[in-house]
Amino acid sequence: MFDVAGAWQALIHHPLFGVGVTLGAYQLALAAYEKTRWFFLQPVLVSMLAVIGVLVACGLSYEEYKVSAQALTIFLGPATVALAVPLFLNLKRIRQLFWPTLLTLLVGGVVATGMGVLLAWWFGADHMMLMSMAPKSVTSPIAMLVADQIGGIAALAAVFVLITGVIGAILGPELLRRIGVRHPAAQGLAMGMTAHAVGTSRALQEGEECGAFAALAMSLMGVGTAVALPLVVALFS
Amino acid sequence: MLLRGLTWLVVFQLLGTVLNVLFLHMLPGPIIGLVLLLVYLIWQGEVAESISVASSSLLRYLPLLLVPAAVGVMVYAKAIAADFWAVGGSLVLSVLLSMLFAGWLMQKLIDRQQRKRGEADV
Repeated sequence: MFDVAGAWQALIHHPLFGVGVTLGAYQLALAAYEKTRWFFLQPVLVSMLAVIGVLVACGLSYEEYKVSAQALTIFLGPATVALAVPLFLNLKRIRQLFWPTLLTLLVGGVVATGMGVLLAWWFGADHMMLMSMAPKSVTSPIAMLVADQIGGIAALAAVFVLITGVIGAILGPELLRRIGVRHPAAQGLAMGMTAHAVGTSRALQEGEECGAFAALAMSLMGVGTAVALPLVVALFS
Repeated sequence: MLLRGLTWLVVFQLLGTVLNVLFLHMLPGPIIGLVLLLVYLIWQGEVAESISVASSSLLRYLPLLLVPAAVGVMVYAKAIAADFWAVGGSLVLSVLLSMLFAGWLMQKLIDRQQRKRGEADV
């Protein structure tokens, strides 16, 4: 007879199962987004929910999925390096706006990080949560490293980074336009520095200049946080 | 073309990783790689076609590459549920307020700079 159970096990434990599920979910999410154009159907969010649904239905653990999706995550590094290209192409525009960019990054970066921690402390989250939350506005490899250094949990930091990015990317462009932020550089900078890679990929959809400033803001915010946050935490504790 | 560009990106990331282990423990390898590639591009003064093709192909799929990390939410569902309102509330509030603040500040500074330039021209 046919070994249906065996075939099922071979399917869900195949080393490519994670890649397959992720690719499938992403295509569906993209199709749904392109068909409806609803801004809350962000492909990352929808694919995430679809993948979690499949994993739970198949009884697979996140650890197993993580290993079998490695073929995709391995490209996150080169993709981060690749952000240098839009950054370089728009260097001229960035140079023209050098002081506004630098000032906004400094003041806005302190506000973004400080406000998250203060609010969470005020709402009663514990120390470990606070320290996992502090680097929420920077891209996940940096956030995980920084959280680990200052007494938080790296994996939790990755989750907070993601929630921040998704919310920022979903609501950001609309809200920014509503309060009268029209310049693509201002929109991109605001999205890149608070909503990191997810915000940057959203900003790239808005336009090239917007994307370039988002990439610039994301990388400078990341580098700045990686250096400054551990020093600040060391000073205050 | 695509492969040659991808090779460059990987080389820069690996260089970044080496520097990370040797000197810069605070900064992850890919970020050091980004800075190195930027310096290289400024030095060259232009983007080689291979690098341009590879980077635009990769960046188009950046959301896809972020999905596996996003799925990690499922592991911490319980810890997040315990502090749900404190964590969720402050995350949402702080990202929206700080994003709007940053956008507003940048817009003001750009407007001011353009006004100054305008006056200087008169």
